[in-house]
Amino acid sequence: MHPVTHGSAEHGRAWFNHAVLLSEVEYARPASVDEALVLLAGDDNARALAGGQTLINVLKQRLVSPDLLVDLAELEELTPITVAEDGSLELGAMATLSDLIASAEVQERRPILAEVASSVADVQVRNRGTVGGNVCSNDPTNHLPPLMVAAGATMTIASAAGTRTVPAEDFFLGVYMTAVGPGELLTGVSIPAAGGTGDGFFSVTVGNEGTGIVNVAATVNGEARIAIGCVSSLPVLVTSRPDDESVREAVRAADLDPPSDVHGSGEYRRHLAEVLAVRAVGYARSSG
Amino acid sequence: MTDTTLERALVVEPTETKRGWAGQSIPRKEDKRLVQGHGVFVDDVKRHGMGYLHFVRSPYAHAKVKSIDVSKALELGGVYGTLTGDEVAILTDPFFELSTPPGADMKDYALAVGKVRHMGEPVAAVVASSRDIARDAAELVEVEYEPLPVVVDAERAAEEGAPLLHEEAGSNVVWSGLFDWGDYDAALAEADQVVRIERLHFDRFSSTPLECSGAVVEYEKHTGQWTIFCNHQMPGIGAIWMGPALRCGLDKLRFVTHDIGGAFGNKICLHPQLTACCLLARKLNRPIQWTEWRTDQHMANSHGNERTFLDVEVPVRADGTMLGFKVRALDDCGAFPRYEPLGCIIWAQVTPGLYRWRNIRVDFTQVTTNKSPVGPNRGYSRMQHLWLTERIIDIVAHQLGLDPIEVRKRNYIRSEEMPYETPNGCVYDSGDYARCLDLVLGLINHEGIEERRRDAESRGKLLGFGIGSTLDSGTNNFGQSQLLNPDLQFSGNNEVATIKLDIFGEIVLTLGTVPQGQGHETVAAQVAADILGVSPDDIHVRPGHDSYWNTHAGLSGTYASQFAVTGLGAVKGATDLLADQIKRLAGVILGGVGKDAIMLEGGFAKIKDNPEAALPFMACGAIINANNAGLPPELDDVTLNCRYVFRPRFEVPDKERKYGNLTLTYANQIHACVLEIDKETGVPVIVDYAAVDDCGIRIHPQIVEGQVHGAAAQGLGAALHESFPYDEEGTLLTANFYDYHVPHALDMPPFKTESIESPSPFTPLGAKGMGEGGGAGIHAVCAAIQDALRGAGGAIVYDSCNPAHRIWELMREPEKSRSLVSVEERS
Amino acid sequence: MREKTIKVEVNGDLYEREVESRRLLVHFIRDDLELTGTHIGCDTGNCGACTVLYNGDAIKSCMMLAVQADGASIDTVEGLARDGELHPIQQAFSETHALQCGYCTPGMLMSAKYLLDSNPNPSEPEIRKAIQGNICRCTGYVNIVEAIQRAAGHD
Repeated sequence: MHPVTHGSAEHGRAWFNHAVLLSEVEYARPASVDEALVLLAGDDNARALAGGQTLINVLKQRLVSPDLLVDLAELEELTPITVAEDGSLELGAMATLSDLIASAEVQERRPILAEVASSVADVQVRNRGTVGGNVCSNDPTNHLPPLMVAAGATMTIASAAGTRTVPAEDFFLGVYMTAVGPGELLTGVSIPAAGGTGDGFFSVTVGNEGTGIVNVAATVNGEARIAIGCVSSLPVLVTSRPDDESVREAVRAADLDPPSDVHGSGEYRRHLAEVLAVRAVGYARSSG
Repeated sequence: MTDTTLERALVVEPTETKRGWAGQSIPRKEDKRLVQGHGVFVDDVKRHGMGYLHFVRSPYAHAKVKSIDVSKALELGGVYGTLTGDEVAILTDPFFELSTPPGADMKDYALAVGKVRHMGEPVAAVVASSRDIARDAAELVEVEYEPLPVVVDAERAAEEGAPLLHEEAGSNVVWSGLFDWGDYDAALAEADQVVRIERLHFDRFSSTPLECSGAVVEYEKHTGQWTIFCNHQMPGIGAIWMGPALRCGLDKLRFVTHDIGGAFGNKICLHPQLTACCLLARKLNRPIQWTEWRTDQHMANSHGNERTFLDVEVPVRADGTMLGFKVRALDDCGAFPRYEPLGCIIWAQVTPGLYRWRNIRVDFTQVTTNKSPVGPNRGYSRMQHLWLTERIIDIVAHQLGLDPIEVRKRNYIRSEEMPYETPNGCVYDSGDYARCLDLVLGLINHEGIEERRRDAESRGKLLGFGIGSTLDSGTNNFGQSQLLNPDLQFSGNNEVATIKLDIFGEIVLTLGTVPQGQGHETVAAQVAADILGVSPDDIHVRPGHDSYWNTHAGLSGTYASQFAVTGLGAVKGATDLLADQIKRLAGVILGGVGKDAIMLEGGFAKIKDNPEAALPFMACGAIINANNAGLPPELDDVTLNCRYVFRPRFEVPDKERKYGNLTLTYANQIHACVLEIDKETGVPVIVDYAAVDDCGIRIHPQIVEGQVHGAAAQGLGAALHESFPYDEEGTLLTANFYDYHVPHALDMPPFKTESIESPSPFTPLGAKGMGEGGGAGIHAVCAAIQDALRGAGGAIVYDSCNPAHRIWELMREPEKSRSLVSVEERS
Repeated sequence: MREKTIKVEVNGDLYEREVESRRLLVHFIRDDLELTGTHIGCDTGNCGACTVLYNGDAIKSCMMLAVQADGASIDTVEGLARDGELHPIQQAFSETHALQCGYCTPGMLMSAKYLLDSNPNPSEPEIRKAIQGNICRCTGYVNIVEAIQRAAGHD
């Protein structure tokens, strides 16, 4: 899901000829990752289509008008949720949020993923929304980016040249911008084995389980890794000792400059970041 | 001072309908088609060759339209044609305005003419063979704008030198006037304390029905007849606006509705868009299909009135009696008045709210701003005013250290005073507010509140308890419009029903109303069934509205909480006529007995003393319709096709004193809210909620309760989330359901309801209209928030919408809101 | 390709149609297949009036392209009643007055069906969560929750 209100008339007459109708676009449904990569590399203005819960809305608004949609629906190899030899949780990029919730592996190893996934929007969105989509769209209010950053996840990106990995804290670059470049595809996310780690996630939303106003993910393993969402174009990572006062100081020291909008001022969001960070770390401490 | 002797005798209609089907919650006739997805909503309607209309809308809140070039749009394959403001200005006359000058001189057309006055205002229309092509073509329409300064603040709009929306009017003021009843100055002199509240603000929001507005419009060339299949909820007034504009007789505008996906007052001002559809249907000689998008509905359909209350002054006696109040009200109606300035008087139906104060002075001004026009959103204008009275009660109690429950009990109008004449001559028909209050306190377990407060405290939460009382005044006397503009030719009210007994014994009922979920087909059948002695299944009620049925009058529609009175009054009237005719016919056929000797039972007309002598309805229908030779002349007027126009008893109010009865019935609701506020985040959670309603005799209790649920949910949404804020450029910041949060299932608290019935002495069935609700949810939540914040600095709630961030601001700087209130000790 | 021929099974019937790639599934269902029971209430995928079952999963058909449904099996509200007999959920909705205007109802029924298919005895919080993606402006959800509880009792 994504925010769609814009202040400026310059944002395009498109906004004011608004309708739920897309521009013309081409569509392809490759049968393999390799095929998908070829299609993505072949057109600068091609977009990967995962669950569509963000992208279709963006297309309806005509905020972007890709030439080609590369539907990843048939890439079976990207859907499983498995456990690697070293105990880390391997999430296929096309695993849905509902898959996360239903997964015994997630429940056993990193239940915070299921807990957070189950608070995203509603069941219809969760049935289609994917790990990859949530992470690659990097809408500032999305739930998974801060969670991945706090958990120290690693993203696997495939291209014609092979695969590479990028740590979550380097993966998110800006609104709707990630380390996935043209001709590339996120294929999976790897979450390290928990082993004594506690996780927490707290948010203030617009209505129950609505859009995030501020969300904070925390992972405590000795020290606290705190990722704050909704306050910037990418999750803000701070680390600190896991006691309340240290957490507050660390968040203050991050000198956040959150946006102001109808759901709260920048000051309110700054305040929430502190409060929710303390709560997330507190929860993580007690669950580790 | 508390004289409640009525100045004139009231006419009370005898209630002949015995309780049979009426009073039962029977299964709804509408459900079978709706649960199967077989409802016919306007976007479901298809006509061969229809063109899809897409409006080109202004990206500027205020600008001159220098030029419009549709040539590139016309070149796109599949485009049938376009319409621009220049054409509209030639082909139509501006819609008539209800106001006196300056409002009278504001011009309103189907498309922007010369300039645009709010973002999203339609500037041109494109029609094409598919929605997609129409949308693509709209992008090719080139409009040159010259932006003008924008005004989005009502106080600024009222000032000298503010940007002028309607130059011809010479002012942004639509209407202004002073209402002064009782003797406010004497009340002030008598006061022991005077509480002053600098400002209160009732936010813009709307009930955002899930189905957007729409129409399929056809034009018949030879006859000049338009057929407008739409979801306009008040076709009577729609036609009155559109006919003169299109320069055609009203019969040339056939309105047809079927299923409507909610309206709540937001489908009343559709005449601009429908007029554009009409012009295009004629110009392009094909049916025109238009469905509003959600964004359009938020930006450019209608909002509820935004009202700022300034310099509130409340004289109070030492014993807690409120003597009256004075206020300056500033109403923001957006870019075009349309149904306004009726909002400038409609609140006066409930001038004193539920309270006994007699001295009230309201200085009312309404202005235009570069925002969406307003419309009669659910609770129209009364809700805003009732919120004011409830805020006054709670804030005065707060300041003087009184219990708001005790203050209400002391100041509520008492049941023994009913019918009660208010300071401006309205008559509250019946009600027992004190009893409703006691019931709701019981439902919410008010006795346990302090214990709950302590428990909440232990969890870091501030618990708040609040009461919201409200009135749902129903069945307008349109004569109140003359208090705003003495030259208007509107007064009274009416609704129509036609019922016939057909050849094979079918009973067919048509209504002038326009239901949008209130179950008219079902409830009307209950009332008719009781009179005719049949079951509601035997009565076929045609869904929706159709001008061709000739079952409508100038004010027909479904709005203003009046169906149970006007709609059912018409049904009763028509069915009484039919029953009378059946009895007279049967009396003659069964052997020359009078109609009083006949009873109607089980589909037969029977002689009371000899029920074996029975004439089936089918025979009656057959005789009159096809086999009528030999009938005596005294039966000449028996047609078994009876049309009845219900007219409530009203007088034109006194224009000098702005005095008179403006509404026939007054349902009331008292709500109680318990909420918890997170001390650190300001997030409010409603943990308990109860509502007691009284709408007189309930014809279908389950439907009544459903309206209470729905109105309460909308109130909670408006109290905690829903508002339409604008930025300085006039951009609406909540133009979709993503940003404009309405209650979802997880947002609703546990909900308890109870009902009492204080019959109305003024209506045919003792029932009162009740659909709007009156915003009790908003009043209760505001009260509860203010109560909770006593534990965090004692902030005053002065805005109707308080989401988490606003609550946090109130907690953070309580002095800021507290400084809006002052108490002057006089004794 | 900008157009594609797709094969979609809807309520057990197989349809083959040519569609533009940009066409939303909800418009395909409503306009191409003339199954107008599925409704559109918003522009941003929030309201759920367009909810259908896609290969058994509740989804919002306004956030899927018709071409994505090629080869899939869709269930809409029109498929709930069988041989003129209302589905127990439809019956329950009517009995408890869980619909007023009926506009949200088709989507609401599909979400309710999806819930009860996998969770025949849901708690009240589970019911609310299951219909969290379906906005109703008329009922306040009170009777809708009751309807689903009643339908659950029918198994």
